[in-house]
Amino acid sequence: MYMLLMGLCFTFFGLAVTAVAFAASTRPNSSPSAVQPELPAPKVSPARFFSDQAASPIPVPPQVPIEVLLQQIENHIRLEQAAAESFVAYPTQALLHSKTSSPFVN
Amino acid sequence: MEHELLKGLSSDEVEQVLALGKRMKVPSGGSLFRLGDSADRLFLVERGRIRLTFPMLIRGHEEEVFIEEKSPGQTVGWSALVPPYRFTLSATAPLETDVIALQRETLCALCERSPVVGARIGLNLSFVVAQRLQLVQAMWMREIERTVEMKSAVAAEAR
Repeated sequence: MYMLLMGLCFTFFGLAVTAVAFAASTRPNSSPSAVQPELPAPKVSPARFFSDQAASPIPVPPQVPIEVLLQQIENHIRLEQAAAESFVAYPTQALLHSKTSSPFVN
Repeated sequence: MEHELLKGLSSDEVEQVLALGKRMKVPSGGSLFRLGDSADRLFLVERGRIRLTFPMLIRGHEEEVFIEEKSPGQTVGWSALVPPYRFTLSATAPLETDVIALQRETLCALCERSPVVGARIGLNLSFVVAQRLQLVQAMWMREIERTVEMKSAVAAEAR
């Protein structure tokens, strides 16, 4: 009888411990009415070169003066005209497709 | 000097044609005609140079871009003989230049009176026009070829 009572006591004790553990594990972390402590604002990380600078405009090379540009176009046209004249004088596919020596497009 | 427009004519016929013309001196930097002007006469270059230009939009501004330069013996302004008789380029003299201006009506009247001269001038004019066409055709083809090559290279880089 004494042993039976001891067994029952251990069983109840075990059940109680299990119930407490179960309740603790299923309890919500915080009650909805609880006031949350104000968290510090996350620090903004400094700009990274590979993300922020990519949006910045690509540095444009200084523009060639218009007189220089017109001279370059004229030289290109003169060279192309000479190439076309060679083709018209002796029409061959090789002459037509010959690479231009004009620095304007190279 | 032999003028390309008068090739194949006898010296008497050449004199006959040149006698119809009016000799003009274009000062250095002076304009002979502008694109869109009414073309009622063509010009034979006697001395100096005539620079033909075409307006092109560059950086939002219209700029005269070099197309061709004509030297003594060459013909300028054949639009005077081809409808709608409007110049399709502008012509200026980069240095003091002498030209002979031939009025369309006067030249056509001579060609009607002398069909042999008319036929020869017609053939020579077709050579001048064909030469321009063939040159521009070859130049245009080369430019298109380059554009296609560049575009293909850009597309290959993007892949």
